[in-house]
Amino acid sequence: MQTPTIAEAATLLAARKISPVELAQQCLDKIEAVDSKLNSFIVVAKERALQDARAAEARLMAGTTKGKLDGIPIAHKDIYGTRGIATTAHSKLLQGWVPTEDAFTVTKLAEAGTVMLGKLATHEFAFGGPSFDLPWPPARNPWNPAHFTSGSSSGTGAAVAAGLILGGTGSDTGGSIRGPAALCGIAGIKPTYGLCSRSGILPLAFSLDHAGPMAWTVEDCALLLQAMAGHDPADPASANRDIPDFNAGIGRDVKGLRIGVVRHWHETDSPVSPAVQAGINSAVAIWRDQGAEIVDVVLPSLYEYQAANFVILTVEAFSLHEPWMRGRFNDYGELLRDRMIMGGLMAGTDYLQALRRRRELCAVTAAAAKDVDVLVTAGAAAEAPRIDSIPKWTNLEKPGFTNPFNITGWPAICVCSGFGEGGLPVSVQIAAKPFQEPLLFQVADAFEKAAGLRGIRPSLSATPPHVAKGLADAGLNLLPGQLDLMPEMVAELAAGAAALKGARPYSQDPAGVMHLPVGG
Amino acid sequence: MPKTSLQDFEAMVRRTGVILTTAQTEHIYEGWGYIEPMLERIRAHGRDRAAEPAHIFLPDVFDAEKL
Repeated sequence: MQTPTIAEAATLLAARKISPVELAQQCLDKIEAVDSKLNSFIVVAKERALQDARAAEARLMAGTTKGKLDGIPIAHKDIYGTRGIATTAHSKLLQGWVPTEDAFTVTKLAEAGTVMLGKLATHEFAFGGPSFDLPWPPARNPWNPAHFTSGSSSGTGAAVAAGLILGGTGSDTGGSIRGPAALCGIAGIKPTYGLCSRSGILPLAFSLDHAGPMAWTVEDCALLLQAMAGHDPADPASANRDIPDFNAGIGRDVKGLRIGVVRHWHETDSPVSPAVQAGINSAVAIWRDQGAEIVDVVLPSLYEYQAANFVILTVEAFSLHEPWMRGRFNDYGELLRDRMIMGGLMAGTDYLQALRRRRELCAVTAAAAKDVDVLVTAGAAAEAPRIDSIPKWTNLEKPGFTNPFNITGWPAICVCSGFGEGGLPVSVQIAAKPFQEPLLFQVADAFEKAAGLRGIRPSLSATPPHVAKGLADAGLNLLPGQLDLMPEMVAELAAGAAALKGARPYSQDPAGVMHLPVGG
Repeated sequence: MPKTSLQDFEAMVRRTGVILTTAQTEHIYEGWGYIEPMLERIRAHGRDRAAEPAHIFLPDVFDAEKL
């Protein structure tokens, strides 16, 4: 059975067409069957999952269900503290650490009735990666396990795309929710700074860290965010305000809205692949057809946001890792330690200048977007590269499309917008003004539903070695859906060929033999 | 190639208190070449002397009644 979306599963559960225990068991079976190829889980909490599922089932039978998330299998990025379950940050430094408290958002999702399946791979401390020198291997992309997931919420991106979980948690300091969402072909939202508490989540950079959900669809992200959002006095940046209905705009068109395309970001500052550009064009065409007005918006260069983001991020990160960086430098993976030390090399005035620049960028962005409802650009520059081809300084060479909304704190979501030449997904990114998540979900959902791409899931069935060799010999690069058909087709061809074999006279000519030209 | 000399870079590393091998220093020095342009960007703005940073001290936050 194909993994349902959260919204679909909620309907099935309410109609008692599937039970929470059956749904959890399906996910656990799938994890056991395919996660050895993806490495998306660090811990599979089977007993805890079945315990949660049985409790949800009891509520369902008693008519005391907690809502649409009751009985829904999810998992947490392994920087979210989970009481009684190891939380490692994918690092040797925290191997074996078992928190005594749940993170605030873990508690909120549990209170909504979700079933917790375990802990998910991350780039080390949500920053390094992909790293091959850690106690656990890096997560791999379900659309092609030889390819990268992006990060740092790499396990969540892989597990959701593969249908091992219906949704999960991520964190985003420079793009760590939206990057994996983009490369794994799912939806992932970085909410407004302060909307979701970070207490109980291992920090990376205090003033840029955001917690948020990832799921197969925009609607599912809205359902998860409804449970995660809320004021928490334990997080100094937590916003104390009423939580709106994030599903209010789901299923509505965008008639009358003004959509600003930041064209120079993806056409000039960091040019994207043809598939990414086609995805953006497709989204714009859909919104225009629905009655939105499309306008161009000009903002500072992506390099400006990247510079402020990187300086603030690395200085804040180094400040909290400083004792370990001095005493246990070589216990970190190479990628993380070599990036994070940059924060220790900068001067105090550099950090303060970055903060002053941040305020300017916030003001300029708000002024430029004054007359539009949302901003649109790419989620990532291209489809996922091979995981073994990521340059060490990759995040420094070209600016990402996600940094501007960590700097401004605006909510932003990545949504699958198509597929590249290699058959891996590409993405469009949409951002709204602070605390305008309902509008953001409305615009993203309107595109996602009209684009009709959610029926295509990655296939994880193994390609038999003889089929793989034949394809390689023929120089064929098939898409995942085509690969699925190959074993069956090869078996039929082999049977047909076998039927033609038989004991024939030694001298029997084939039907087509050479004839000299008549009269020649 | 960074504008900072390797010798000056080694002094900067010593200031962090992190002990690196020669090979590690050289690898990180290569990465520093990507950081220098970022620092120039955030420094090179003729911003107003009074321009405040993005997060400033808000005494209200520490009001005992709100803690």
